[in-house]
Amino acid sequence: MSKTIRIEDIGKNGDEVLCPVGPEDLVPLPPPYDKLDEQPVWKEIKAETKERLVCNLDGVIGLSIPKPTDAAEEQEYIDKFIAGLKKLLESNNNWTFLQPLTLSLEYCVKCQTCNDACPVYTASGRKDIYRPTYRSEVWRRLVNKYVKPGGKLFGRLTHGDIDLNWTTLTRLYELCYRCTMCRRCAQACPIGVDNGLITHELRKLFSQELGWAPKELHDKGTVLQLEVGSSTGMNDVVVKDNLEFIDEDMAEMTGIQVETPWDKEGADVLLIHNAGEILAWPENPGAFAIILNAAGIEWTLSSEALGYDGVNYGLFYDDFQLARIALKHAAAAKELKVKKIVMGECGHQHKAMMTISDRILTGEMNMPRESCMTLLEEIVFSGKIEFDPSKNDFPVTLHDPCNIVRNLGIVEPQRRILRYLCPQFREMEPHGVDNYCCGGGSGFAVMSPNNFADWRISVGGRVKFKQILDAFADQPGPEVKKYICAPCSNCKGQFRDILQYYNALDRSGITYGGLVELIVNAMVDVKEPFIEWEMH
Amino acid sequence: MSGSALIVVAYALLAVFAVVFVIRTISIARLPVHLRWELAPVPHEKGKGHYGGSYFEEYEWWTKPREKSYVSEMAYMFKEIVFLKGVWEHNRRLWWWSFPFHFGLYLLIVAAPVLALRMALGAGGSASGIDAQLGTTVSALAGAGFGLGAVGALGLLANRLFDVRLKPFTTPMSLFNLVLLLAVFASGGLAMGAAGEFPAAASGAVTALLTANMSPILPGALVAHLLCTLLFLAYLPFSQMMHFVAKYFTYHQVRWDDKPLAVGGRVEKEVLELLGQKVTWSGAHLKADGKKNWVDIATEGKGQ
Repeated sequence: MSKTIRIEDIGKNGDEVLCPVGPEDLVPLPPPYDKLDEQPVWKEIKAETKERLVCNLDGVIGLSIPKPTDAAEEQEYIDKFIAGLKKLLESNNNWTFLQPLTLSLEYCVKCQTCNDACPVYTASGRKDIYRPTYRSEVWRRLVNKYVKPGGKLFGRLTHGDIDLNWTTLTRLYELCYRCTMCRRCAQACPIGVDNGLITHELRKLFSQELGWAPKELHDKGTVLQLEVGSSTGMNDVVVKDNLEFIDEDMAEMTGIQVETPWDKEGADVLLIHNAGEILAWPENPGAFAIILNAAGIEWTLSSEALGYDGVNYGLFYDDFQLARIALKHAAAAKELKVKKIVMGECGHQHKAMMTISDRILTGEMNMPRESCMTLLEEIVFSGKIEFDPSKNDFPVTLHDPCNIVRNLGIVEPQRRILRYLCPQFREMEPHGVDNYCCGGGSGFAVMSPNNFADWRISVGGRVKFKQILDAFADQPGPEVKKYICAPCSNCKGQFRDILQYYNALDRSGITYGGLVELIVNAMVDVKEPFIEWEMH
Repeated sequence: MSGSALIVVAYALLAVFAVVFVIRTISIARLPVHLRWELAPVPHEKGKGHYGGSYFEEYEWWTKPREKSYVSEMAYMFKEIVFLKGVWEHNRRLWWWSFPFHFGLYLLIVAAPVLALRMALGAGGSASGIDAQLGTTVSALAGAGFGLGAVGALGLLANRLFDVRLKPFTTPMSLFNLVLLLAVFASGGLAMGAAGEFPAAASGAVTALLTANMSPILPGALVAHLLCTLLFLAYLPFSQMMHFVAKYFTYHQVRWDDKPLAVGGRVEKEVLELLGQKVTWSGAHLKADGKKNWVDIATEGKGQ
């Protein structure tokens, strides 16, 4: 049995890895993925990298924190961190989440009821540091010792011991990126304490006070998006060119003339995709165009900066970046005078635009915003398009993106479509609002530095991969082609990586894609199969 | 302790309880409106709450009337509060101790109005009719409450001390909380044993407190229980045990607060004021100098 890791251990022995994790620790997967010696080997971190970067939490480097040059630099960050702890609890600096955060700070009874709800914790073989409560308790003790009056005198007695030093700081920062903020733990908490929120707030502290954030989310994410228009780096000219190519490809594939409308003033629908779809899964925006055109919807895309990319990584780590991007999205819609904004198949876009930004989009900026799930359901059952469900007669299961299902409560529209169009649709267990995260949530799907991808897939995505295998357990062999419907870009990115990592297309015949691809595949007017059984 | 000293101490402890309880509750309620952070299932979603669905499942949801089921919401809370449904589902091992602990408290809380009713009806001396029934009810509720509470508190203490899942999170304060409650339950049980006719003794103690007249001599065990209970009450609002109040806010004002922004409404006005607050975060990409407010920062720059 492994040694128990105490809360206060986070600040001790900074040159050592606090809680090593590797393939041998993890809960087994079902056959044929159950043999440890056949599991992919985790990328080894070079000695030079370890010399240069902090690697003291679990042996995984997700954030590439350079080692400090001297004690003064360490102290500077520690001082900033303490200042940030205070700002998190101030109305002027953090009104956005002050009430829920205060409640989660003060009223956790430390019953650990949430622990087993966490797929990271259970998949890891129950490593102490991955308990949803571990990082929260570290934060709680730091607040009680360094922020509350008399904390240095009485904090240890009332709330337990902890020391804030460079080791604590760097381990805690790294630990903030071992939680996908899926909020399954929050659902399980009888008090309503939200450890996912605490992760979110700690990430904010690091970004908004220390300027620390993963480069994939900040430099290559929100900053690039605000500078160029999209986190993919595409400007308006490039994105239009790409869509034109996609239209041509779709016409060739389906025999249906496809034209994506741009900047149509007064359109009923402004569709905003996650622009990653355009580059990684072009069949998705293509399928949207086919469906919306076939249904006679007055729709448009926007070529306004940010108006063509619904990504908003600010949701994961920084309220101000979130707000900057959300305002640009709303402005693009307002400029075109559209009747509503429809979210493409992107989970965090749904959450960022439909609920999180709702109260900061004041006045005319608060335009009607809707999920593509409900629009697609309306179209599919409208009778405007003829379908032949037998064209989808292969096993299909549905992944519930946390941001669409657990966080917004959009559960049934996509299921009604699948039950109608996919004769072999089957649920994962558990599903709906009790689903498990794909392991790529909260920005992880675009983060793969050093050996982080090994962790993200093997640990973060383990429970989900097991769920998928279980859902298809009646036809496990590769001779039966099977489809994971994942109506979310980040989730698809994670599924692509999981399936490739385990070679699951060849070994089990499993591939993945969105919801619109299944809809187009079932259209009578589409003569050739739209879904391609290959890894993409 | 003399009768008058007991009265002074009792009133002081009750005053601490009342004042701090109210201040702390108001301080939570007065925290600023926050961004939406709902979490399914939201049980008041009529016809959808049972599977976690929301009004976002409706096509053009803003054109549809919002239908809420407060009965579903109350049913959800009833199961959660009375039976600790969440703990039963996610932490069965702890439920076997947590449930009797909480249920014991609930029984004692129910015993209080029954005792008050008995006193209000002018009973206390007779051993027949409604008086006897109410007296028996008080004794049964209090006896079960003290017993279940004590068993639960002992079990929870053992868990805190020996369960490897809980032990790393156990603090001196969490142990103190349980010991204090164990003292309340145990002293209550002892007082019942010592009092002979407990409802009458309890009525005597309540009357003495209400009239500030301690001339009737209370049994020592009852005084000990009274002090334990009052100490607990005075300490309660300073502790995590206020979670029963917090729970109202975490559920109703966070998890289930799914009301869309009404343009021109109260929330929008409050948000506009909050957006005008000066920001002092130091992250370089924010360029916050302590003079800029949220709107300034969110509407300028490229975010780098």
